Formats: sequence, structure tokens, C-alpha cells
Amino acid sequence: MITGQVIAGDEAVIDPSRPFMELSGVSRVYGSGAAEVWALRDVDLRIMPGDFVSIVGPSGSGKSTMLGLLGCLDVPTQGTIVVDGEEVTRLADAARTRVRGRSIGFVFQQFHLIPHLDALSNVETALLYRAMKPAERREKAMGSLEKVGLARRHDHRPVQLSGGEQQRVALARALVTDPKILLADEPTGALDTKNAANVMEILTSLQSMERAVVIVTHDVGIANSAARKVSMLDGRIVSDESLR
Amino acid sequence: MNSTLRDLLRVATTGLLARKVRTLLLLLGPMIGVAAIIAAVGLTDSAKGDLKAKVDKLGTNLIEASAASSFGGQDPTLPIDAAERALTVSTITKVSTIRELQNIIVTPYDEARENFETVPIPVLAADSRLPEVLEVSLVSGRWINGFDEDGRARSAVIGVGLADEFDYLPGELRTIELNGLRYAVVGVLDRVELEPGFDNAVFIPFTAAADDFLDLGVGDDIDPNKLYARSVEGTEDESATALKVAVNLGGPQDISTEIKSEALELAAQSDRQLQLIVVSMGLLAIIVGGLGIANVMSISVIQRSAEIGIRRALGHTRRIIALQFLLEAVFVGIVGGLLGVLLGMLSIFVGVSIAGWVFVMASWLAPGGILLAIVISVLAGLYPAVRAARLEPLETLRLG
Repeated sequence: MITGQVIAGDEAVIDPSRPFMELSGVSRVYGSGAAEVWALRDVDLRIMPGDFVSIVGPSGSGKSTMLGLLGCLDVPTQGTIVVDGEEVTRLADAARTRVRGRSIGFVFQQFHLIPHLDALSNVETALLYRAMKPAERREKAMGSLEKVGLARRHDHRPVQLSGGEQQRVALARALVTDPKILLADEPTGALDTKNAANVMEILTSLQSMERAVVIVTHDVGIANSAARKVSMLDGRIVSDESLR
Repeated sequence: MNSTLRDLLRVATTGLLARKVRTLLLLLGPMIGVAAIIAAVGLTDSAKGDLKAKVDKLGTNLIEASAASSFGGQDPTLPIDAAERALTVSTITKVSTIRELQNIIVTPYDEARENFETVPIPVLAADSRLPEVLEVSLVSGRWINGFDEDGRARSAVIGVGLADEFDYLPGELRTIELNGLRYAVVGVLDRVELEPGFDNAVFIPFTAAADDFLDLGVGDDIDPNKLYARSVEGTEDESATALKVAVNLGGPQDISTEIKSEALELAAQSDRQLQLIVVSMGLLAIIVGGLGIANVMSISVIQRSAEIGIRRALGHTRRIIALQFLLEAVFVGIVGGLLGVLLGMLSIFVGVSIAGWVFVMASWLAPGGILLAIVISVLAGLYPAVRAARLEPLETLRLG
């Protein structure tokens, strides 16, 4: 007789005390010699399960560099980054790319949908090269579009969608892989107030113990709508406060 | 199918189909190059198409061996068992012997003697295997057979030209006169392309020839002076040399051999220099086409850098990105090559129709053309593919 924990489906059990992502002593230096620029200097940061955190700072504060590192798109000059138990700073490019595809979902200010693909195919792009049957992939992508309320417009190409709709497709694409961390870069920067509110509403609704939402922004209003606010200045974290 | 490959195929095809004009431009290079090469080879071959077809039909493996006296003696002959000796050469498959007879006047009937005396008509003693070895059939009637030989019958087969000359109707029961002796016409031999002299010849059995035209003792057999042999295709030269030795076996005779299709083959050869020039131009066209592919795809990589960046962010590895672009190049090669083959065939067809030639297209041209198009396209796609894979997603996504 098996006793103990029952695991429902293939959902892994989340340990709320174990960070999804941990940056320790991370510095990022561009250039060398006299042209050396320290974009980040000795930063420590933990992204915990259920976090809804904004990273805010003026331009030049290092938040773009931070985004690149959080998204495993870049590696630090010093320090270590552990994503979901894996030390990505030790991984080769291909392995790091796989960690990125598995654990991180991206939303960008400019949406970055692939122009020649319709909404559904754009969402499906995140599920390519994962040994998945086309029908299964299609179903998952459709489900994800449903979550952002765009299932009806699945066959529209980006040019046929409004900015708000495009950003929602991008959200569906980011969510379809079920990432631990949803990384949003100025997600409302290119949207009008109404659409911005709508996207923020969806982002807020995504908060759960299985996921962490990280928004990188220079908009203080957006930053203050998060549960936790990390403020940056000159490549350092100057404050890390809980807002609720 | 491997799911990665399937996904790659899907991405590459949708990528190409989404930008139809650009894809069409990419296709033009390999297409025109392959079409030029195929048209060049095909048209120069087709110019000699009728002769090539003839060579193919007649075969290149008919060898003639004839007796030639080294002392300038009259009427040299081959050994009586020349046919058996020839068959000892392993690459010789069929043999037939003949004897060319001298000074026989052939007339359709006695009264016409004056008209035909001045026209020499060759008379040959032949064995029963000659049509089989020459691969020629009879227009009517039959060939000389064993009964004619054994019965020492005065039977004759005439060539199709002679039948015309003598107004012989197919199947007609008629005789002709050889030096005044009446021979029954039992058949008419069709045109012999490799031995045109046979069209006007008369063929009679060896036994009748011995009885009527040679001063021999009764019952003596006559020696042949020529034989025709078929060898295994491709062994003509060696077979001809071996034939000489096998037939002569160190005897006093000189034997000369000739491969009957050689002259025809020479005439059927395409103009190699012209072919080389036009094929070089085609190759140049396909190389320029390849450069065009490299150019258009490089620009495409720049235009699609945001797409590449987002794919990288979504977890597609550099290798996948490179393969995606390379696969687009492979498709361009396959489709461009196929269209090039079709266009090339069309060009040959049009050229052949205008010039009245026979359509000839070597079997290696189509697969060779497509393969060349793929190789050129892949080589051209290599640089843009590597460039695409090297793009840093962080830079292309212009993070704010």
C-alpha cells in the first residue's frame, strides 16, 4: 500500500520555499579596458513561487540587462543564476536555450509576433521541436488562446489584430508552455490605457503558486500594481519591497 | 517521421509560402541554370538523335571477320570450322558464316540476260543462322534451312532491293537464273542497315553453291570467307581481337575484323565542343543563381531578425534556426531543379519540333540537374543559415 503524497497528473509538487530563480552576486560588464561599463553590479535576487514582482528603474538603471539575464538570453560576467534548480551559468548555449523554452515565457513591448503566421500558429511556435503531435499542439495552442479570449480570432494574422489583441496573443504564446516564470518587458508600453488595463488584468489573474510573474518597466503606476516592487538604480537593486 | 524534422519542414515550407515573390526570385537561379544545361545537352544530342536511335536499335556488337590473303592470293578463305572456332571465344554469342561467290550473272529470267549482265549482283552462300546474327527479319517467305542444305536444293533468298528490281511480289512463286540455272525464290530479306550491300544480294545454300559454282569434288564442302559474330555488349574490341586468333589458330591466313557499327557510332556522336561551351554557360548561370540565393537569403535573415530572436527566446536552438534556413534552401533547390528540368525538356521539345530532329534526353540529365540544383542551393544557403544562427536574441529583440 502506497502512502504519502498523491501527485495529481504530471503536475510537479511546488515547494513554496524553493525559489524559481536565484541570482547570486551577479554582475554584467560590457566592453573592456577604458570602455568598460558595469551594467549590473553584484546583484542578488530571488523569484519565489507565486511572486508578482515588478522591476522598475529609470533608463540606464540596468533593468534591460536584468531582463536579459532573467530570461537566460544572456550570461553574467560574474555570479551565478539558478533557474528551477539548474545552474544556467554553467550551461552551454543549446542547453540554456532548452531551459529558457521550458521554464520561461516572454512578453515584449513590441509583441514580436511572427507576421506571416496567424494567431494560432504564432502560439504554436512556442511548442515546436518538443516531440509533440500536431493535433495535440494545436489543441494546447487553442486552449491558450481561449484563456486570453481570442479563440474566435485564431486565424487572424497580426496585422488584422489590434495592439491589445496582439499582446494577448503574445501572452497566450508565453503561457502555452506552462512556464514557471512569465517575464514581461514593458507589456503595456505600446498600448492605450484601456488595452493596457486589460493586459494588466490578465497578468494579475495569472498569479498562482505554480507561477511567478515578473514585469520589467519604467512606469511607476504599473510597478505599483504588482505585489512586490524591486527598484533599480545604476546597476544595483536599491529597494525590494512588498506592496500588499 | 522524426517530430523535429516534421516541425522543421513545416516551418520552412510556411516560411517560403508566406513570401511568394521572394521565393519565386530564389527559384529562378537554379531553375534557369538547370534548364540551360539540360537544353544544351539535350539539343546537341537530339541533333544526332536519328543516328543515335539507329545505333541503339542495331546494336554496337556486330563483328565481321573476313579472310585476307597475306600473299595477295586469289579468293582467300576461312577454315571450314570457322564458326565453331569463333564460338570458343567466351564473349561471342552468335556466329554465321558466308562465302562470297565470284562471276555469277543473275537474271530474273533467261531472256533478260542482256539487261542484267552489266549489273553485278552479289551472290552469297550463307548458312541458316545469318538473319538471326544480323538481327534482320524476312519481308516475306522464309530463310534457307536445313532441308535446303541436306536436299542440295536450288533455293534462293533475295534482298529487298533486288526484289524491287526484279518486280518480285511478296509470296510469289518464281525463279531467278544464276548463270542460267533456275533457283526458286523462297524468301525476301529485309533491309540490312549494317551491311547495305545485302539489299541487292542473292543468298543460296552452301551445298547448292558447291554443286553449281565451284570446281570441287562431289560431296566436298566449301570454305567460308567471311563470318558475322555478335559479342556481349561492351566487349567488341576484345572480342574482335580474340576472334582473329580463335579462327585462324596460327594458320596461314590473315584475318581482318571490323566492328560494323563503328562508322555509324562516329557519325552519331554529338558535337562535344559545342556541348561543352553551352553546358559551361549553364553552369555559370546556376552559380550566379546560387550567388543570388545567398544574397536574397542574407537580406532575408536581416529582415527576419526579429522573428529569429523571438524563436530563440521561445527555446529554439541555434542549430534549429540554422537547419530551418538550410531547409528553405533545400526546398528551393528541389523545386527549382524540378522546374528547371521541365523547362529544359520543353526547350528540347520546342527545338526538336522546329528543326525536325529526334528527341533525345540522356537518362542522367533529370536526376543530375535536380541534384546540382540542390547542391548549389545548399551551398548558397549555408552562409545565411550560419548568420541566422549566430544572431543574438537580446540584440534583435531590442529590449526596452
